Amino acid sequence: MSSHAPHMTRRDLLRLAGAAAAVPVLSSCAGAPPAQTAAPGTFTVYWNAGHDYQAYRKVIAEFEQANKVKVNLQKYQWPDLRTRLLADFASGTVPDVVEEPGGWVQEFAISGNARSLQDYVDRDGEAMGFPSDWQPVTVERNSYQGKVYGVQLHLTCNTLLYNKGMLSEAGLEPPTTWEEFLAAAKKLTKDGVHGVALNQDHGYIWPWMMQAGVTPFDPETGKVMTPIEDAIAALQFQADLIHKHKVAPVPVSSTDYSGPQKLFSAKRAAMILTGPWDLEPIKKTSADIDLGVAPPLKNKVQVTQAAGTSMLVPAKAARPDLSWDFIKRITALEVEQAATKETGMLMPRVSWAKLPEVQQDEAIKVFAEALPIAQDSTQEVRLTGQLGKWDERLKVVYQQVIIQNEPAADALRTFAEAAEGFLR
Amino acid sequence: MTMLRPRTLSGRYARTAYLFLIPAILFFAAFFYLPIGNVTATSLRTGPQADQWAGLGNYTQALADPAVRHSFLVTVIFSVLVVIGSIVLGLALALALDQPLKGRVVFRVLLLVPYLTSVAIVGLLWRNILDPELGVLNRVLGAAGLPEQTWLNTSPLLTIAAVTLWQSVGYTMVLFLAGLQGIPETYHEAAKIDGADPWHRFWRITLPLLAPTTLFVSVMAVISGLQAFGQAYIITNGGPGDATDLSVFHIFNVAFRARDFGYSSAQSVLLLVVIVAFTLVQLRAGRRGEVTY
Repeated sequence: MSSHAPHMTRRDLLRLAGAAAAVPVLSSCAGAPPAQTAAPGTFTVYWNAGHDYQAYRKVIAEFEQANKVKVNLQKYQWPDLRTRLLADFASGTVPDVVEEPGGWVQEFAISGNARSLQDYVDRDGEAMGFPSDWQPVTVERNSYQGKVYGVQLHLTCNTLLYNKGMLSEAGLEPPTTWEEFLAAAKKLTKDGVHGVALNQDHGYIWPWMMQAGVTPFDPETGKVMTPIEDAIAALQFQADLIHKHKVAPVPVSSTDYSGPQKLFSAKRAAMILTGPWDLEPIKKTSADIDLGVAPPLKNKVQVTQAAGTSMLVPAKAARPDLSWDFIKRITALEVEQAATKETGMLMPRVSWAKLPEVQQDEAIKVFAEALPIAQDSTQEVRLTGQLGKWDERLKVVYQQVIIQNEPAADALRTFAEAAEGFLR
Repeated sequence: MTMLRPRTLSGRYARTAYLFLIPAILFFAAFFYLPIGNVTATSLRTGPQADQWAGLGNYTQALADPAVRHSFLVTVIFSVLVVIGSIVLGLALALALDQPLKGRVVFRVLLLVPYLTSVAIVGLLWRNILDPELGVLNRVLGAAGLPEQTWLNTSPLLTIAAVTLWQSVGYTMVLFLAGLQGIPETYHEAAKIDGADPWHRFWRITLPLLAPTTLFVSVMAVISGLQAFGQAYIITNGGPGDATDLSVFHIFNVAFRARDFGYSSAQSVLLLVVIVAFTLVQLRAGRRGEVTY
């Protein structure tokens, strides 16, 4: 080489290294292929870790055989599933079907991340009984602007579970009103047993609020938790069970909402307010407990909260026809029947409530009879797209009152003022 | 090839060094600098998809947000507890295990095991120990006739700081042990001859000569304290109320619960600035205090 050839300086080397570092990044940006949803031949489903039932495994095997795909059933707890799903939405690599805990369908329909299933419903709805055979609340909570975006998988509600032996020993009948509930809890609290155990999870606030006649959010007026005095009384009633009447232990903040069930199973709580998801753990861990299930309590009204899971198809899912086929298969009446028989889970079909498995099971029957009075608590909030922010704030307020014994009036008024601001 | 050959020996050494550095540069670029750039760009946007221009709006909102200020205060208190605890306990354990004790190697290993365990496992373990109703500790206390504890409800921040210390103190102990073993014995012997008692030798010789180790421990503890997440996520879920709403946990919730990626990114950038500032101040202060004999 010529002596005039330029030598590479340290700075040049740094530039070279920088350029080398940038090459793969820039090239991937320039020639990025369109987002793929999954490897060919693999059908990815995000599922709740507690819902991996044999009844569903059987359907999945049939689906695999019929469609010549391998189902990759990825199981998560709800918070982890949400984190994963939001990351997927950002990256564009999405699963084919997602189970969600209630509320996400409308949230993701608003944000454009969920696919409308209306075309499929128009085509197959009548044959599969949708929406005519689904409880109306389940169709409403999975629709946005007149179109269906999700299909309900489970429909649950919250009611009273009690230890029959403890109540009968105390000469008590299952309570039906808040006053009777408090009186029973006082009588049952003794010898290391709590009359009742409340949940640390703020979602358990809703049956109380709804029984007190509270409207979470009125989009017409923009007001939150109205009438506020009734909302304060309902929240203070729960706190008083713990701190004033001392008939319930102070819950501990965590991501786990099974604390009351564990206390009930350990015979350290005589009553809990919960859903059908706790039936199986109680039966498994404490077969000797004579479990009683009573209808939802009544204050101003007798009502409970509708909950349960749905399925949605991400907007970028590559094979929506397959996704819809999966949804159709897993929501068939015989699958609902098998899942209830296996686990005691409640289902959204109207015809499910008439099945012998439901009518002949003492516990499931009470839950099933409560479904018609179950209401959605956060529908109006969800439609604003601010459910996440609402939930974060409500969690703080609920725990400040229930766990830290702050006055419900101050905490709830502060919450209402803040929420009315960001929901406007 | 001749074009690339440096003229001097030092130039050739430098070229070799840079070539060896390329994998590290690529790694850091792909996994650190690029994401930092991405987060910074996202912090200037808003909306559920972070696709609307917000300028510095997220930053001004974060600086005025009481929830952000509260979580930062919680994080600073948590970090102070962890830093002081790491130094005091780590040094105390190192001094104890620097003595010719029988079985000291076993003790060192036992103290280091929690550090090698994941924060998720440690969190679940202590959650199950400390639960007031279902935890193991209250059963033991009850059996011994002692009053039961409710620390997760009454002192949640102190409790998660203590769990963090339990996990990390083995590591700081090892660092201090290495520092202690680097102090020449002749200094202590000379001081003994001059009549210095153990207390004076600790204050006048051991502690000043451990200054670089103490600086390193404190910088690392501040950084990990400000970045703490798993403790709040696993043990307390940020509660009760917002009592353990550490900054990174708060940012996580803004991103993945409230779904405001632009706002959470702005908070992340602000936290990065704070961490860098704390680190620089500590390094500067620490260098001023360095001692040589």
